[in-house]
Amino acid sequence: MENLILQLKNQIIEALNLEDMTAADIDDNEALFGDGIGLDSIDALELIVLLEREYGIKLANPAEGKEIFKSVASIADYISRNRKK
Amino acid sequence: MTTIAEISITPAGAILKGRLISTADITGLYREFAGDYPKFFKMDSLCKLGFVAAEILLKDISAEEKENAAIILFNRNASLFTDRNYQATIRDNNYFPSPALFVYTLANIVTGEIAIRHKIYGETSFYVVDSPDTPLMEEIAAGAFLTSSPSFILTGWLDYDDDHHYEAKLKLVRK
Amino acid sequence: MESVMIRKIADNILSPAGLDTIANYNYVLSLGTQVRVHDNAFDLPEPFCGSLFLRDKILARAKECIPNSEDYTFFESLCILSACNAIAHAQMNAATANRIEAASDDVIFILSTTKGNVDSLENDLDDPRAYLATSARKIAGHFGNGNEPIVVSNACISGVCAQIAAVRALLGGKYRYAIVIGCDVLSKFIISGFQSFKALSPECCRPYDKNRRGLNLGEAAGTMILESCEEDECCNSDWLYAASSIHNDANHISGPSRTGEGSYRVLKDLLQVVDNDEIRFVNAHGTATPYNDEMESIAIHRAALDNVPVNGLKGFYGHTLGAAGIIETILSMKALENGIILPTIGFESTGTSYPLNIANQIGQCIQNGVFIKLLSGFGGSNAGIAWRRDPNRKEGGGL
Repeated sequence: MENLILQLKNQIIEALNLEDMTAADIDDNEALFGDGIGLDSIDALELIVLLEREYGIKLANPAEGKEIFKSVASIADYISRNRKK
Repeated sequence: MTTIAEISITPAGAILKGRLISTADITGLYREFAGDYPKFFKMDSLCKLGFVAAEILLKDISAEEKENAAIILFNRNASLFTDRNYQATIRDNNYFPSPALFVYTLANIVTGEIAIRHKIYGETSFYVVDSPDTPLMEEIAAGAFLTSSPSFILTGWLDYDDDHHYEAKLKLVRK
Repeated sequence: MESVMIRKIADNILSPAGLDTIANYNYVLSLGTQVRVHDNAFDLPEPFCGSLFLRDKILARAKECIPNSEDYTFFESLCILSACNAIAHAQMNAATANRIEAASDDVIFILSTTKGNVDSLENDLDDPRAYLATSARKIAGHFGNGNEPIVVSNACISGVCAQIAAVRALLGGKYRYAIVIGCDVLSKFIISGFQSFKALSPECCRPYDKNRRGLNLGEAAGTMILESCEEDECCNSDWLYAASSIHNDANHISGPSRTGEGSYRVLKDLLQVVDNDEIRFVNAHGTATPYNDEMESIAIHRAALDNVPVNGLKGFYGHTLGAAGIIETILSMKALENGIILPTIGFESTGTSYPLNIANQIGQCIQNGVFIKLLSGFGGSNAGIAWRRDPNRKEGGGL
C-alpha cells in the first residue's frame, strides 16, 4: 500500500502539473479538493483519465469520483480493490 | 486610441516600454514577476505567455480600473501548439483523451486566464489573423470602443509556435 | 448627422435538416430533431449522440455548386455553400439587389469557428489547412474578395461575437457589408474532448429540464449578411441591430459561474438600450449541461427577466459550436417575424434553481419588437446581442 501511495502521489503531481510540489508535501489523508491541495473540476476529470490509463479502471459514473477522490489514501484504497493492471 | 504601456516578450527576453527588463524564459519571467499563482503551471504555453505579459503590464493598474477593462488578443496559430499535443492523446493505439489539454485547445482560454487572475469582468475576445502586421488589429480594438465603454483594452499579438518561437506584443490602450 | 443603422439583409442555415433558412425553419416548426446515436462515428471507441451531416450529400452538392470543389475541405465547402445561398438571397432582396457584390472592396468576410479544419491534424500534425486565417482567406477568395477576413475564435460564444465584430466593422465606416459565416464540423478531436469532459448526453438533450444529462454536439453552417445604412434607407420590416455586450465571469476557464456574473452583466448592458416590454423572448444558450443551464437561470433571474419567455434550441441540432450563435439568431428572427416563439424541445419540468418562463411549445408573440440571443462558453466568456424589428417605425425615419 505504501508503495502504491507514493507512486500515486508522483503520478498525480505529474498529471496535474503540481509544480513546486513533491510527494512529501501531500499528506495521505489531506483533502485534495477545496481547502486542502486545492484541485478543481478539470483536475477531477484528469484523475479519471489517470485511473484508466495507469490502472485500467473505468469509472462508470463520474459522480462516484467525489468519494473516491477525497484524498490520496482513498484513491489508493479504491485502486487496490479495483485495479485491472 | 492612446497607448499607456507596451510589452514585448520573445525567447530573447522581455522589453517593457522600450527597456529590456529580463532575459528569462516564460517560466523564469513568472518566477521573477509573479510567483504566487500555482495555477500557472497548469496552463498551456500560450496561456503562460499571455499570463506573464499581462502580469507585468497590469502591475500598477487599480482593481477598479481592471474590473471594466477589455482583453482583445490576436494571433496566427490559435491554439495549434496545444491542439497537436491533444491530438497525441487520442491516437488509436493510445487513446486517453486529456481534459486538461482539451480545455486549452481554444485560443480564447488565455483571455479567460488573464481575466480570472486580474478580476477583469469586461469583454474578452480572441481573433485569428495572418500576421502581426495587419491593420485589422488596430481596427478591431478601436471597434470595441464603438459599441462598449471599457476602461482600457489589453490588446495585441500573442502567438506561440513552439518553445523557440513565440511572441507577445501587448499594450494597454485607452479611447 | 444621420444616424447609421445596421440591418440584416440576408441569411442562410445549412444543416443536416436542410440547405436553406426556410427548410430549417419549417423543420424546427415540425419539432423534428437531427440528434441521434452514432455507434462508429470517427472511429470513436464510445457511441456518441449528436447531429452529423451526411458527408456524401454535402460533397455532391459542393461538386455541383463550387468550381474546383476538390480544393476545399469539407468545412470550407460548408462555409462556401452557406454564404453562396445567403448572397443569392441578398440579391433577391429588392432593397439591396443591385448593390451587394461579394468581391467588392466594401464587403468584409467574418468567420466564426472554434476549430475549423482541426481534423486535418489526424493525418499530418503540420497540415497548413489547420490555420484558421488560411481557411478564411480561401473562403473569401472563392468569392473573389481580397479584404483580409476576420476570424473570431471565442469558443462557444463565437457566433454572437462574430455578429458584434461585423457591427463594429460596419460602424467603423470602412465597409458597407459584412458576410458573417459560422461553421464547425465534428471530428474525433472535438467529440473525444467533450467526452473527456463528461459533458455529453447519451440521449437527446433536455435544456433546463430536471433530468438533463448534458449536451449533444451538432454540425451546421450559417450565414448572416449585414449592411450599414442611413436611417431613412431602412424599411419597416428590417431587422436592426439594437445592442450587444460581451463579459467574462473572471471565475473559471471551464466551469460556468455560480453567480452567472458575466451573463448577468451582458443582460444588464442590453437592458440599458432595450426596454423590458419590448423583449418578446430570450433565446438562451441552453446547452443542457447541469451547470450551464443553472448559471443562465441565475443570470436571467438577476436581470429580472424571469417572466420573459426563454427558449433553447439545442434539441433540434445539438450544440453546433461556431455556428450556434448564427443559426439560432436566424431562427429567432424567422420566428418573431411570424409571431412565433419556438419551443425548447426536451424540456418538461423545471430543473434550475430559479424557474424561468421556458417556452415548451410553439407560442405566439407580436411580430415586432426585440429578442435577445445569449451565449456562454469556455474561457468564462458570455455574449449577448439584441435585434429589433419594428414595422410601426415611420418610413423616412429621423426623430
